[in-house]
Amino acid sequence: MDFLLNDDQSAVRDAMSTLLSRHAGVARLRELGGDQPTYDHELDRQLETAGFLDIAEPGSTNRLDAALVQEAISVALGTVATSSRLLIAPSLPEAIKGPVSVVAGGHRGPARFAADAVALIVIGDRDVRFVGPLPAPVEHVISRLGWPVGQLDDVPPADVMLDVDPEEVRAWARIALAIELVGAMRFATDLTVGYVTDRKQFNRSIGSFQAIQHGLAECAVAVEGARWLSLEAAHNGTPQAAAAALTHAIQATKVVFPRTHQYCGAMGFTQEFDLHLATMRVVALRAEGESLGRPGTALAHQRWAKLSS
Amino acid sequence: MEFGWDDEHSGYRAELVSFLDAELPDHWHGETAILGSHANTKYSRRFAGLLAERGWLTPHWPVDFGGYDASPWMLAVLGEELWSRGEPRGPQYMNANWIGPSIMANGTPEQQARYLPPISRGDVIWCQGFSEPDAGTDLASLRTRAERDGDVYIVNGTKIWTSYGDVAEHCYLLVRTDPEAESHRGITVLLVDMPTPGLEVSTIPGVVGDHSFNELVFTDVRIPVANRLGDENEGWTVVREALSYERVGSPRWARAAFLLNETVETAMADGRAIDAVAIEAIGVAKAACEAARVLSYRVIDERARNVPPSPNGNLARVAMVQAERLVAEACLAIDAGHTLTYRSPSNYQFRKALAAGIAAGAYEVQLNLISRLHLRLPKG
Repeated sequence: MDFLLNDDQSAVRDAMSTLLSRHAGVARLRELGGDQPTYDHELDRQLETAGFLDIAEPGSTNRLDAALVQEAISVALGTVATSSRLLIAPSLPEAIKGPVSVVAGGHRGPARFAADAVALIVIGDRDVRFVGPLPAPVEHVISRLGWPVGQLDDVPPADVMLDVDPEEVRAWARIALAIELVGAMRFATDLTVGYVTDRKQFNRSIGSFQAIQHGLAECAVAVEGARWLSLEAAHNGTPQAAAAALTHAIQATKVVFPRTHQYCGAMGFTQEFDLHLATMRVVALRAEGESLGRPGTALAHQRWAKLSS
Repeated sequence: MEFGWDDEHSGYRAELVSFLDAELPDHWHGETAILGSHANTKYSRRFAGLLAERGWLTPHWPVDFGGYDASPWMLAVLGEELWSRGEPRGPQYMNANWIGPSIMANGTPEQQARYLPPISRGDVIWCQGFSEPDAGTDLASLRTRAERDGDVYIVNGTKIWTSYGDVAEHCYLLVRTDPEAESHRGITVLLVDMPTPGLEVSTIPGVVGDHSFNELVFTDVRIPVANRLGDENEGWTVVREALSYERVGSPRWARAAFLLNETVETAMADGRAIDAVAIEAIGVAKAACEAARVLSYRVIDERARNVPPSPNGNLARVAMVQAERLVAEACLAIDAGHTLTYRSPSNYQFRKALAAGIAAGAYEVQLNLISRLHLRLPKG
């Protein structure tokens, strides 16, 4: 047990920080379109060139370093499909180059990154299929939820079944989403703490009122709990840990999303204020997490194998 | 950063689990497994002795006091496994974890020789005389008065919500020795033998389960000056140091997870259907227990590094309260009918969850500290 970064992890964090300060962040996301962005191929290329996307060894069960990389990308609001590359791809028998979209078996309809992806990973109940390259162009969907989204109506049947345990892949997909949620929630909470500190009403910072302090303190507890549970899950890689991490991250969104908007007042409704760039993403990520099977229910079944309704 | 257990700690956990599987009797359910019940307290005298024989009651104590300087992680494993079974040490976890260490740090050789051996043998019950009718969350406003009269203190006042006050042999008592001093100063710790003339103990029936609270009324109780722990008027420093030994408090998340498991297993064994809403609630509650666990581990990691206490302890405490409440909700969803039975796991968890936000530091005070120390929000 060691909750501090080791030397290698610190070096990666510092290098990531430099790269992300140049190629990600709010200004970059706004250049890409704000809450309806295009895919950030430049950031993807920079991360690829620097070698960050292959930080987890193929087949490794400890992907903590990859999770730390993804968390940094998510806090910096990167618009890239890196979480699957960093956290899911090491479970797959073949290397993946370029963005992929991850969907549940039987999925039809909008999917994050589907219009920009070189391939799909379809996680079914009994198998994992790889579809790539996509035979027909996928149209973009207007979602205004902070991600490029494509409409998947016809997933080609001529796909490849991967020799991999679907539970393992689903677990890593859950961890990947939990980490992305944590990153977005950290951004939203930090921004709101700054806002309520600066914003004065009744001749004092609104952040000095106990009602707001308690609400934000509960946001901090929710985000920290989700964060450390997700990082631990990325270290241990078990389906149960993965389901617990995503369950708790989704529960955290129910605290963080409404409260950060509430405490930022009318500014939180506007496009000029940065809050929505993170919070709208949270909605999409949560929906994606639920589409993989309700994680709380999955956790209960994993913990109590004989549990049935 | 890494989250694995090393061989030493995994080996210890395996040995401990094997011991617990063998030693906890068949009747280790129901009332006996309810911390604070008389059955639990009575059983603790046998169980703590068994732990002591193996060096597991006070493993973290220094070698000079009969321990073996076990790491904070080992103590955490011990606490986690015991709370995962309803805490068979009963009230004696307090003795081992902070009352003993406080006496080691501040006691005279005579006090150490008298009080520490029974604690390390697992054969003594202590209570803590902290709260008063007008000094609860704001503990430093306590008013129980101790006036020096030669080689004794004359104590007058009332302590309340004193767990185990009805069965304890000693009380770790906070008194005010200088009424003129500002609130945090002028407080002194006295080690009181019980019963003692002038001390009346009466039980306050509560709603949190078998756990009983007591009121301790001191009327001209004469406590020898030799029973003072640390210097006169320096009690606040002594008690703050004492409570910092645990930092994050007891692993309540482990007991909540234990009761969730008991509720689920009982329902399954009875062949009762658990609907989809309840199953999701079980998962949410289980995840909350896990979050409280990992946040607690972060505090133990700080302790192991000997870094000063941080607001991470407050974050973990809040997470624990939330986990207790979510487990209570899940238990009700699973076990609506059986919740009506007193001492059923779900009935018990509801009562424990009720107290969770008050016991060992109010939830709202933890939020205040998180706002100020973690988020650095401006003062009001």
